[in-house]
Amino acid sequence: MRLDRTRRRAPIAMVVAVVATVLSLVSAATTREGVALSIAFDLAIACVTTLSLPDLKSSHPVVSRAALTLLALDVAIFITFFLNSSTNFNLATGAAMSIVLLGLSFLTGASGQISLGNGAFMGVGAFAMAIWSNHHATTPIFLTLLIAVACGALVGLLLGLPATRLRGPYLAGMTLAFAVAFTFILSSFNSWTGGDSGLQLPTEATAPRWLDGFFHAGTSPLTTTTLYITDFSIIVAGVAFFFMANLFASRTGRAMRLIRDNDVAAELVGISLPRTRVAAFIVSSAYAALGGALLTLINNSVSPQTYSFALSVTILSLIVIGGIGTISGAVIGGIIYAFSTNAISWITTQTGLNPQGNFASQLNGIIFGGLLILTMLFAPLGIAGALRHLWSRIRSRT
Amino acid sequence: MITIDDLTVSFGAVQALRSVSFVAETAKITAVLGANGAGKTTLLRTISGLKEPRSGTIRMDERNLVHRRTEDIARLGIGHVPEGRGVIGEFTVEENLRLGAMMAKVNLQQGLSEQYEQFPVLGERRRQHAAKLSGGERQMLAMARALIAKPSVLLLDEPSLGLAPLVTAQLMHTIQSLCDTSDLTVILVEQNASSALRIAHHAVVLHVGKVVANDAASVVAADENLRQYYLGLVE
Amino acid sequence: MDPFLTSRIVTDVLGGLTNGVIYGMVALSLVLIWRSTGVLNFAQGAMPMFATYVGFALLSYHFGYWPCVVACIIAGLLIGGLTERLLVRRLYGKPEINPIVVMVGFLIVLEAVAAAIWSSFPRSLPSPFSSIDWQLAGKPIALSPFTVYEIATGLLVMTAVAVLFRFTKLGLQLRASAVAPEVSRLLGVRVGRLLTLGWMLSTVVGVITTVLVSSNFFTGLTPQVMDGIFAFGFIAAAIGGLESPVGAIIAGILLGIANQFVTDFVNQNAVIIIALALLIVSLMIRPSGVFTKRTERRV
Repeated sequence: MRLDRTRRRAPIAMVVAVVATVLSLVSAATTREGVALSIAFDLAIACVTTLSLPDLKSSHPVVSRAALTLLALDVAIFITFFLNSSTNFNLATGAAMSIVLLGLSFLTGASGQISLGNGAFMGVGAFAMAIWSNHHATTPIFLTLLIAVACGALVGLLLGLPATRLRGPYLAGMTLAFAVAFTFILSSFNSWTGGDSGLQLPTEATAPRWLDGFFHAGTSPLTTTTLYITDFSIIVAGVAFFFMANLFASRTGRAMRLIRDNDVAAELVGISLPRTRVAAFIVSSAYAALGGALLTLINNSVSPQTYSFALSVTILSLIVIGGIGTISGAVIGGIIYAFSTNAISWITTQTGLNPQGNFASQLNGIIFGGLLILTMLFAPLGIAGALRHLWSRIRSRT
Repeated sequence: MITIDDLTVSFGAVQALRSVSFVAETAKITAVLGANGAGKTTLLRTISGLKEPRSGTIRMDERNLVHRRTEDIARLGIGHVPEGRGVIGEFTVEENLRLGAMMAKVNLQQGLSEQYEQFPVLGERRRQHAAKLSGGERQMLAMARALIAKPSVLLLDEPSLGLAPLVTAQLMHTIQSLCDTSDLTVILVEQNASSALRIAHHAVVLHVGKVVANDAASVVAADENLRQYYLGLVE
Repeated sequence: MDPFLTSRIVTDVLGGLTNGVIYGMVALSLVLIWRSTGVLNFAQGAMPMFATYVGFALLSYHFGYWPCVVACIIAGLLIGGLTERLLVRRLYGKPEINPIVVMVGFLIVLEAVAAAIWSSFPRSLPSPFSSIDWQLAGKPIALSPFTVYEIATGLLVMTAVAVLFRFTKLGLQLRASAVAPEVSRLLGVRVGRLLTLGWMLSTVVGVITTVLVSSNFFTGLTPQVMDGIFAFGFIAAAIGGLESPVGAIIAGILLGIANQFVTDFVNQNAVIIIALALLIVSLMIRPSGVFTKRTERRV
């Protein structure tokens, strides 16, 4: 039955694909959005076709995850072509942040522990990126990102090794101390980190030449660099999410979830608790570093003030509100981060608060802190959990 | 006197006690017997308010105990010696006893010397941490801690668990003499049916949450069917 | 030994003692709450901070320093008790990250609300004692009337807590409900009330600490005044072992002195880095704390 339906769908898909290809050839000479539209359309068709092949889906979940990631990336990138520069910039920071959130979500989802220092781990990545680029300007971006990730993982190992051996709040407290210490660590290495003023990247990230035409701006208010950086960030986030989805589903991921739910039982079936916990913490630190490095790339600079304790707290709020322990929670948190500044200034103007006043400047903390408490008390799985609950209720009704 | 009427207790879908009714008379020992999982411990925890019953009543004299908080039930004069003894290992013997005497309106020094007289070994070790005591000594301490508050009802949960036969016999003797010399109502939960039946006046046999026998201890002890099927006592 | 070096070392020890007592008090208040309710209170700096702002709001009604301190303590009792009743009570028995997250949220809200009401600029409190160091043979000795006030108050508070826990009926019940809540209830101890009382007590220890810190002429009161101190307090508590009040106090005092040496011989920035390194090393060597006896894990 299922197979029949797919067979019937295949010719339709092919026709649509042909039409789309023709469209793209025609529109290639016209506008940038036209090209984007047709490519996005083609890709979407390909992904949907892949996803609807039942054989493939059941035998290779990795393939269907890849197709799903590609589809999401395709839609996201397509949208960026129609947004202005500042919205695109917000989206790019949101994508970088969602990577950090995903790391923290994984740590909690996998080991039941929590880190209050992921802002500092972001800073490790951000500064590693800037320092390396300033000394070796010719290294390809991908390699520099990987170096930043490695730095994050290394620091994670150093801190995680003692703390993850212990039950209880040791990891949380220790990462808090690290987050508080981080700005002092930066200023201890002034000659490397550029002191209070931070570091500038030697060159702006630009699209490789063969892709340049695709991002070319023409007269629109959207600059080529912004568009390229945004799409690049979204792609990096997509890859990061793809890896994480596979890790969640893998043997290691299952072992980690068992530890979270019942560590005594996990030990009985032969899972090494400390090793798995350390591994989860290293992954989360590495993801934070990747997000930080990406943020350096987006801002083209890095400043030590960004990586204060407040950032770590913001990260915690975002993932809790989005849905800690879930993958979609990281996406939701990233989107909230992208638009939170706008939303809060909107609230300020709507409520008629004095934007320079004490209250308006603290609105961020009051709202996020309050939401953090309320979410944990009344909906511990955040927005993602609430949506999932809603969805299962709708499905059970039909 | 404790009167239990139509008591039903459940954990989720599993019923631990089904419509249990019996009376524990004043100045008598009522043994509650049965195999593992028969609901004996649940019964005591429900009397003490650690577990909320689904339905039924528990009365002490004329007062209803259901829906009261554990600490209030304890203050009404019900001493509960929990399974595994529940002595606080981090505390010294004397601190454990002081804690027991806390809410009773008794003279602390007098109470302490009474208990040390009753259980001399505790007096010798009053400054030691309870964690250092042997199993029998811990049981003594747990009993003394409950008794120092001068309760009118004593709930004992498996006092003989893990004790050597000789120590068990001594313990049972202590319980018996307590009952003989005062108006104490004792509910004694035991898996070790033979030693409990030796001192009890009345016996209730539980099987998967249900009362299968409720009679004088001598009658229960003489019932061959009960002995064989529910109490695991074979000659 | 070189007399200059000797006097430098003496100065460092005396100077470090002041901070050490402060860290010790924060560590003590953390341990009190951890032992009784299994919550590491990340708002343990922010709650007293808020109470201190509330108490010193009386300054504008021409009250003096000491009436304000009393008001701070009363505010602390209220905040501690209400927090336990309204917030923390819902978290017992939940996964361990829930109380952490909620208390971090509470920390953010309290700091933001304090800054919204009283602004984030440092507010200087009328210090009852001079902060000018005494001189010995023409040289300052790192002790002033104010630091003596700090150290003496700190030691007094620690002694008071120790006496309360060791020698009073209330202390016995507090300890019992911390280690064996169910057994305590069976003995008629009103555990629920005692947990609230424990939070009130620990908040008051925090309030006294915050008052001492922010009465310091050089610090003043800000919404973030306790952030760094909280970090050091946690490090001390973790080094000493979260289960051990005495260990927490000793570790706090030693940490304060160590910090002073690092400030003097290395630099100010290195202080928290070295403290963090100390924590890492001590957790590697003695995971359950330097001053605790090894105990089996409770399942």
